[in-house]
Amino acid sequence: MFCILLRKFLEVFIFLLFIMFVSFLFIRLAPGDPVLTILNVDELSVSQEQVEAMREEMGFNDSLPVQFGNWLLDFIRLDFGVSYSTGQPVMQTLMRALPATAELTIGALLVMLAVAIPLGSLSALHRGSWIDRGSRLLSIVGAAVPSFWLGLILIDLFGVRFGNLPTMGRDGFVSLILPSLTLGLAISSVYVRLLRSSLLDSLSQEFVRSARARGLSEGRIFFLHAFRHSLPPVITVFGVSLGSLIGGVVVIEVLFAYPGIGKLVVDAIRQRDYPLIQGYILIMAVVVFFVNTAVDLSYRYLNPEMKLKEREAHR
Amino acid sequence: MNKKTPLLVLTSLVLSAGLLSACGSSETSPAAQPSTDKNVHFLYNFSTNSLDPHVDSSYVPLRAGITETLVRLDEENLTVAPWLAESWESEDGQHWTIDLRDDVTFQNGKPMTGESVKASLERALTESAAIQNALKIDKIEAEGDKLEITTTQPFPEFASELVNPNTAIIDVSEPDIVNKPIGTGPFKLTSFTPGSKLELDRYDEYWDGASPLDSVTFSFNEDANARTLALQSGQVDIVYRPEVESLESLKAIDGITVESTSTFRVHQMTMNMQRDSIKDLNVRRALDALIDRQGIVDTILLGYGESAIGPFLPSLPFAPTYDEAASQSGEEAAVNYLKEAGYTLQNGVMTKDGKPLQLTLLTYSARADLPLIAQVFQSDAKKIGIDVQIRQIDTPEDYMASNRDWDIATYSNLTAPRGDAGYYLNATYHPKGALNFSGSEDLELTAIIDELNLTVDPEKRAELAEKAANYVHDNVLNSFVLHPGTIVAYNGKKIKNWVTTRSEYYMITNKLDVM
Repeated sequence: MFCILLRKFLEVFIFLLFIMFVSFLFIRLAPGDPVLTILNVDELSVSQEQVEAMREEMGFNDSLPVQFGNWLLDFIRLDFGVSYSTGQPVMQTLMRALPATAELTIGALLVMLAVAIPLGSLSALHRGSWIDRGSRLLSIVGAAVPSFWLGLILIDLFGVRFGNLPTMGRDGFVSLILPSLTLGLAISSVYVRLLRSSLLDSLSQEFVRSARARGLSEGRIFFLHAFRHSLPPVITVFGVSLGSLIGGVVVIEVLFAYPGIGKLVVDAIRQRDYPLIQGYILIMAVVVFFVNTAVDLSYRYLNPEMKLKEREAHR
Repeated sequence: MNKKTPLLVLTSLVLSAGLLSACGSSETSPAAQPSTDKNVHFLYNFSTNSLDPHVDSSYVPLRAGITETLVRLDEENLTVAPWLAESWESEDGQHWTIDLRDDVTFQNGKPMTGESVKASLERALTESAAIQNALKIDKIEAEGDKLEITTTQPFPEFASELVNPNTAIIDVSEPDIVNKPIGTGPFKLTSFTPGSKLELDRYDEYWDGASPLDSVTFSFNEDANARTLALQSGQVDIVYRPEVESLESLKAIDGITVESTSTFRVHQMTMNMQRDSIKDLNVRRALDALIDRQGIVDTILLGYGESAIGPFLPSLPFAPTYDEAASQSGEEAAVNYLKEAGYTLQNGVMTKDGKPLQLTLLTYSARADLPLIAQVFQSDAKKIGIDVQIRQIDTPEDYMASNRDWDIATYSNLTAPRGDAGYYLNATYHPKGALNFSGSEDLELTAIIDELNLTVDPEKRAELAEKAANYVHDNVLNSFVLHPGTIVAYNGKKIKNWVTTRSEYYMITNKLDVM
């Protein structure tokens, strides 16, 4: 276990540097720079000379390698710079918004589990029945409906027509309900189908038959053997889809005016706030890295065969 | 270890079931509505992560009634009016004397003095490069309630630049200006959730009379649909820019009032004067004649706007009165102008010297109306044989400044945000202006603008601004399409004294009340 972790941490450094380099390159190559935003040319009289002077002062006229070198020096000193638009340290700004997004992601995951596990299990256990057909229909509809639209419908239903759940902002648990539901329902459609097919696969395995032969109850067989065996593929997909999950969070955060990190970065991209965008990418790279590591480690826990194989490989 | 698995699954099931049941219960039992406070909940369409009044470009501290500036825009006469400053004067446009009110206190109880105003202005200059550029201040001296300000050059529009919310006066000795600025306005901040909302309480010692309200909630939502729904659900009382498509259904709801006011913004067609075909005045006239202004206002803005002839809102004191009868419009007029320019219609294509008239039209999606305007124009041009290619770009300022491979561009400009024409004329028509995308280098026009830049007397300034606007119109340096409206919807049964301002600066005031 320790060796894996050590190797992972070495990997992460190279991985982060690479990600930061590529993102740096892409951000700088994209059209537009923050000078026009900083000088507020939309509303204030500015001459072309002033724009050019500002560009020079901020180092945007330097060559890309020089710009990256300067940035790298700061990065090594763990100095992530100051946001152009707010004048605040980047890490402080991002860290203030991160908990909100984490709450929302966890809320969405809980909703996803609450929907996917029972629906997926039931359709696998009652294959071909009306439950199975119904869940398939639901997941097709779920995959086809854009999450912002689903969000608007939920706002209309639970914010306007029945009851008065808060539709905006972050005021404790209640304000988390609608955004979590929106995001959770949007992603659960994938997992219902995935869990179903993975469970069907497990249920047809030899060990299930032998467990039945040993006279174990269906419930024990399902939860102790088949269900557990069916989880690794689901978790793999989850690890991979985390990126798109975060992408989904951005849309939901804007819709529900939820002050998370996604909404922050949308503003940052619009204003070409380079330090904030870089900081966001860095944080997300770290988050994705930890999730992937957790996914890797969970295989070993869920699937003892892997541990066995590893031991054999070490011999 | 094995036995833990079902336990885990079970726990997650219980947790998630709990979450769902919580939704259920909240649906049926409405959240407790606290107290009998006189509160107004206002929903704005831009969010901010910082309340630093000198930096925040969404101007939330001023809009929320926390901060105030030395001078303000008089919404009725559209002139600069006293606010924290009682009066101001300058003989030469470079040396300014400003008299401050002596009865103003900050929300922490400290009196506003010349020194504190000086400190606040100096902070604005250091924190914001934009303000430094805009104000051109060389030095500030304070004595009692008087300020002596010298600008680096004669700068007659200095006073009107002080309308800018980024010059708001705050107590700079406060420790956390980003999250808790202390201003002089009718409401003081009690809590701020970046990107989400502000909670404000009435400031009892407000110099212009304390507000009748106890508190105000000022929140943000960037999604127009969600804003409309928030008003429908009764969660908010006033909504800025609700979704235009939903206005009819909003109006149908008993008690909801919808208001619209034309803004200082103009949607225009920028002409690239460096292109051969566009250099011809008759071609520009033809393109101008082709723009179906009223049609665009009615169909794209659903009537919430005002068609434009020139850049300035007609109610501004320096907006020229155009003789509408003299300028021809419509397909026929456009064809006539093109004929004068030497074009003929051959096989349905407008052609000159064997070359068809083909134009590249730039547009961008950051302002949703503009691509639609481009499409309407494209289809109208096609009817008289002009082939218009629409090209979507990302950041118009950048693209237009560095690429000259286009003929016309849809663009949106603020033309007199602080009640003075200097900003727009300098930025858009002066050869040195940062927004001079048409590449106009017209000696006559530049001379008018240069003269304006040295003129202090407001009446003379208005005359010169009018002259410049007329020059732009006569030479069709750009074409102007419409002034979009600002739409506000509110609960008319509850809200009293709401004013939809044209400047969009003043929203939460000490006059705002509930029934």
